Amino acid sequence: MSLLEYQYFPVTRPNKGAGGKTGAWRIVKPVVDYNKCIGCKACFMFCPESTIIPSNGKVRVDYEYCKGCGVCANVCPVKAISMVSEQ
Amino acid sequence: MIRKIISGNEAVALGVKLARVGVTGIYPITPQTTIIEKLAEMRAKGEIETEILRVESEHSAMAATFGAALGGVRAFTATASQGLLYMHEMVWWVAGSRVPVVMVVGTRAVGAPWNIWNEHTDFTSERDSGWIMAFASNPQEALDLTLQAFRISEDERVFLPMMVGMDGFILSHTKTNVLIPDQDQVDDFLPPRRQPYVIDPEDPIGMGNIFPPEGYMRLRESIDSALRNSEDVIKEIGREYNKKINPLGDYSTLNVSYKLEDADYAVVLMGAWAGDAMEAVDTLREKGIKIGMLRIRYLRPWSEKEIRSALKDKKAVLALDRSTSFGRGGGPLYVEIKSTISDVVPQIKGVVSGLGGVTVNKSDLVYIFNKFVEGLKDDVIWYYPKEVGKIELRTPRDIE
Ligand code: SF4
Ligand code: SF4
Repeated sequence: MSLLEYQYFPVTRPNKGAGGKTGAWRIVKPVVDYNKCIGCKACFMFCPESTIIPSNGKVRVDYEYCKGCGVCANVCPVKAISMVSEQ
Repeated sequence: MIRKIISGNEAVALGVKLARVGVTGIYPITPQTTIIEKLAEMRAKGEIETEILRVESEHSAMAATFGAALGGVRAFTATASQGLLYMHEMVWWVAGSRVPVVMVVGTRAVGAPWNIWNEHTDFTSERDSGWIMAFASNPQEALDLTLQAFRISEDERVFLPMMVGMDGFILSHTKTNVLIPDQDQVDDFLPPRRQPYVIDPEDPIGMGNIFPPEGYMRLRESIDSALRNSEDVIKEIGREYNKKINPLGDYSTLNVSYKLEDADYAVVLMGAWAGDAMEAVDTLREKGIKIGMLRIRYLRPWSEKEIRSALKDKKAVLALDRSTSFGRGGGPLYVEIKSTISDVVPQIKGVVSGLGGVTVNKSDLVYIFNKFVEGLKDDVIWYYPKEVGKIELRTPRDIE
């Protein structure tokens, strides 16, 4: 769509880890059980850090940026994500 | 094309059907309720496929409609009075997001105190929110403007939401003869929805995220430019509507003149009482008084050009408001008119009347117009029709 020069829209693209790379402070991380995952992408849509990446019909977590907040585990309709201690 | 005797609310519901709206967020509020009742009825009968989202408040009705529109679906909602006020926050979110949405407002007074009757203050109080704002003067126009609203709002030169106002009860509940276009006529006029961006999980975007000061300001300016440029779009789409759908309605201008060309005096108003005003103009004309009327059909964009050229050579102009702008004396139309023509018209007066359902009929308007032509002492008067008489208001001292 060709837009006129005065048109300007409040759109942003999600960017992983807007707050930067996660340091050593994360205490739990999400682990996806691929036997349960149905590939619905709910976790991808809700991850506030955009660190869930859809891949091959399922999802992958970018642990370099994941903050361990657990939002993904909470929204997963089939409980395929468990929050596992970093230790 | 067929003719049917229907109410303004039914006409709007039929417009929504013909526009093939995909989602409506609905919440009942008088006098708009029968629009959504009609839609629900049509949905139950399988006449429309619109997804109806029943929500728990007007704030949510607009949020749901907004969400659906962001998903790329043609979306509609309707409200009135306290409901519109409750929606106010979301009204700004939709405009700021530059997303096409159409809403009909069955205008009504706002509390306190409770009053369910007609007045335009709910509508006019949204005039700075960035929406395109049209106001109908009969059920036919309510239908026509609703259909045009989708086209205008989804035009790439615009991409702004649009609301259509309609006098509560006077138009919303009164049945008149309405020309209803056929589905293929509307399909020919209204192409599938277009919008600049769509929320899509395959290509994710964030909407209305935090913006730095300069970006925010640039966005504000873009809303203003789009709204001003919509004037030409509205006229162009109006002409097409005349050609393809309703040859009897004239939508080639933003505002409508009646006997203005040779007039010395002009009255400016908006909405249903234009009908009575035209009759009142005729009565004065019979007595040899050269008076005419300008009906504001678009409060936003405000067509400075059209309004100035219609009123520039008049001796005096009277703005008739069915709404208030507290602390300013007159209503919003008075203020707008004054700022538009004060350098070319020597006398501009204002009358506030018809608030909260007060009936102002043709004879009242004849009386007001006569007084205006004779020369009003005050700049603005609040007019109470004779039959309203004296109202006893109680003060705290009486209650003690
Ligand atoms: S734990 Fe939080 S940051 Fe990490 S992937 Fe899940 S939602 Fe995203
Ligand atoms: S929410 Fe659960 S099921 Fe859906 S994609 Fe993510 S891990 Fe898989």
